[in-house]
Amino acid sequence: MQSFDTLSPPFDRLTHDEAEGLKRCTDIGYFRPGQPIVSQGQSSKYLHVLIKGVVEVREGASLHAVLGPGDTFDARAVVHNEAGEDFVAAEETLCFLLPRDHILKLVHQNQAFAAFFYAELSQKLDALAAPLDTRGMDSVLSTRIRNVRYGAAVFVNGGDSLEQAAHAMLDADIDALYVNDDDRVGVVTGLKLTRASVIQRLPLNTPVREIAQFEVVSIDADDLVVDALLIMTRCNKRRIAVRADGSYIGVLRDLDILGLFAGNSQLIPGRIARATSIEDLSKAAHDIQEQVEGLHRQGVRIDVIGSITSDLNNRLHAKLFEIVAPPSIREAGCLMLMGSEGRGEQTVRTDQDNGLLLRHAVPQADLEAFRAAFSRALETFGFPLCPGNIMVGNPVWSQPLDGFLGQLRSWVQAADGDAAMNLSIFADAVAVAGDANVLRQAKDALVARLQGETRLLAQVAKLIDLFPTSDVGVLGTVFATIGLRQNRIDLKREGTFPLIHGVRVLSLEHDTLAGSTSQRVQALVARGALDENFGKEITSALLIFMNLRLGAQIEAGRRGVINADAIVDAAAMTTVDRDMLRDALRIVRRFRELIRLRYNLGSV
Amino acid sequence: MLRRLQRLVDRTRLADPRYTFLFDPEPPDEVVALDCETTGLNPRQDEIITIAAIRIQGKRILTSQPFEAVAQTKRKSHPEAIKVHRLLDADVQNGRPMREILPDLLHFIGSRPIVGYYTDFDVRMIDRYLGNFLKIRLPNRRIDVSSLYYKCKYGDAPDHVMIDLSFAAILQDLKIPQLAQHDAFNDALMTAMAYVQLHDMLRRGVRIARNRAGAVSDLGIGA
Repeated sequence: MQSFDTLSPPFDRLTHDEAEGLKRCTDIGYFRPGQPIVSQGQSSKYLHVLIKGVVEVREGASLHAVLGPGDTFDARAVVHNEAGEDFVAAEETLCFLLPRDHILKLVHQNQAFAAFFYAELSQKLDALAAPLDTRGMDSVLSTRIRNVRYGAAVFVNGGDSLEQAAHAMLDADIDALYVNDDDRVGVVTGLKLTRASVIQRLPLNTPVREIAQFEVVSIDADDLVVDALLIMTRCNKRRIAVRADGSYIGVLRDLDILGLFAGNSQLIPGRIARATSIEDLSKAAHDIQEQVEGLHRQGVRIDVIGSITSDLNNRLHAKLFEIVAPPSIREAGCLMLMGSEGRGEQTVRTDQDNGLLLRHAVPQADLEAFRAAFSRALETFGFPLCPGNIMVGNPVWSQPLDGFLGQLRSWVQAADGDAAMNLSIFADAVAVAGDANVLRQAKDALVARLQGETRLLAQVAKLIDLFPTSDVGVLGTVFATIGLRQNRIDLKREGTFPLIHGVRVLSLEHDTLAGSTSQRVQALVARGALDENFGKEITSALLIFMNLRLGAQIEAGRRGVINADAIVDAAAMTTVDRDMLRDALRIVRRFRELIRLRYNLGSV
Repeated sequence: MLRRLQRLVDRTRLADPRYTFLFDPEPPDEVVALDCETTGLNPRQDEIITIAAIRIQGKRILTSQPFEAVAQTKRKSHPEAIKVHRLLDADVQNGRPMREILPDLLHFIGSRPIVGYYTDFDVRMIDRYLGNFLKIRLPNRRIDVSSLYYKCKYGDAPDHVMIDLSFAAILQDLKIPQLAQHDAFNDALMTAMAYVQLHDMLRRGVRIARNRAGAVSDLGIGA
């Protein structure tokens, strides 16, 4: 009947019957400009879905967001009997009025639909995880074979001996060969070779054509993974030939497909470990980046992606250190990673944030050669140079421990903005190669110095307001009134940075710097420095920002633009994403408030 | 004046006393949005295929209790009309005869004013059947959204202004989404949406800007 959009979230999660039932009890309400629709703290008899018009979300005098057609409000008022904010019509507005009782009934019977209404972000994320997984599955199945990492095609002649064939396999590290025999092409597998020699005891000089299989099951490189799976199942084959333009170009194994599903992160450490040159490492570095996209596509949780990627990046840096560093530096040095890599939260690489601490001085020529070579190699791997020059190339960040401790002292004494920034960066440092004790000493010294330094802690805390949050949506209103509905949000500046930094300051004060932001939050909660529920909300909000940011970065990468700042257009997001973003931004505001209060930021 | 006279005459001519409620006073702040799809545009020959009506109470459109009916027709749909309403004769086979539909429709409408887009046509179509049935015409007051829109937008317009009262223009100015058109329910619903907004704007004395409103939407950006 009526064009009630059941295809858009969260209503797309309803079954056909549920959607029809909902339509049958839905009226439409008209609201004039300035009319309050739902008031803060009040319950609401209806869930509103905007058909046309504009609704402003306000809390007291501040405008939090601007809602447009397709947006839904207010889940809190319906499910928790208490609206989080005021909702006021800003234009002539029409809304579907979905009765509260009916919505509650659907919340109870439909888990995915219910997710939309949970107040706790972590619950929302959990409930949404399931549909994400299947989306990942679908995208893998519709990958083209040519984009799968399949084995190379290696050819031997039909007249070659079994022994030659076995060596060819060993050399190329594969277990199937193509056999050229006059005008036909066959395949011989490792298992076939083993059977021929061990079981049938054929002489090792037997021509390989005698055991080759000349009916080759193949698939075109432009076909999809799902086709390959069907062929393998139908023909009961564990590997099939890949052809393109009439010739064989490779061998696809069931394992290769499995690797797509699970991600092949387990293969990359081996590749890094085997690398003997910067070129070898460069390939592994690109694999890591591709991996991030694959994992994201499969709906792997962003914190897991972050820890897998950071682990791989740590190995990559360690190996590079091993290859590039001269013996003097390998013996005395400790390579550290800072920033998101240090916290284990890096997904798409942004820039180099690394440093070198030396137990004792090394020859100046060794140090200078290392600084240049290390940064250059990383740049070729796709890690852009750090614009703030926080990398081994900068003598401040690559020096003997004594000198660095002095540097820390002078930052603590200066207690200005630059010093606060440098101390924050160093707070995230982890050792990835060399003697980790050197870094531990420096960090212990930092934490000890900061005890009781309230002025300095406040200076560091003040950075939380480095990027003033434009009240979300104020811009949107202006645009909305002239018909340009855009709501651009800088996920890093308005979302991740304030959260990460606030947690970092608390951790500097409470000596809970180890690990990622979410681990720091846990440690702070365990110490009673942070409320448990609020801690959970902070972690969930951070996951949401990181997830949205990664999505935006990957998309930007496909379009060939660098989007390191991760600006998203809220107007172009799905309703569910926008709803979660709104919740997450609300948490950022509360957390900023908490940090300002705790460190008396009004008076710095 | 003429209409009031007609009402009085009809009231006395009413063949079936069970329908005197049609002449009751209007319930306060209630109207019915009505739309018919027909076999063609000639009210003397063409027939109703579908009727939809939606009650409006104050600022609320009661889409949860709509009136919808498909009628049986003797006359084949004009091919042009089929293109418009997309109902094939086969679909219409399942329809009910109008004499069964009319009592339900009259009870649904009651004495409420009828809101429509060029309501006269729809009412004239219904009147044709009603003449045989109750010997009267629909006595309800009619409210045409095109004339509300005219008042709101062109009420004070100088002579040379081009006047566009098309349904599409109304929807665009009021920013009401285009539902699939020429479905009686959707047409009645869009009419109802236009009515609640125009009714409120007129009450507040707000006008629809000429030119400028068009200019903004012509940018092609935005919602």
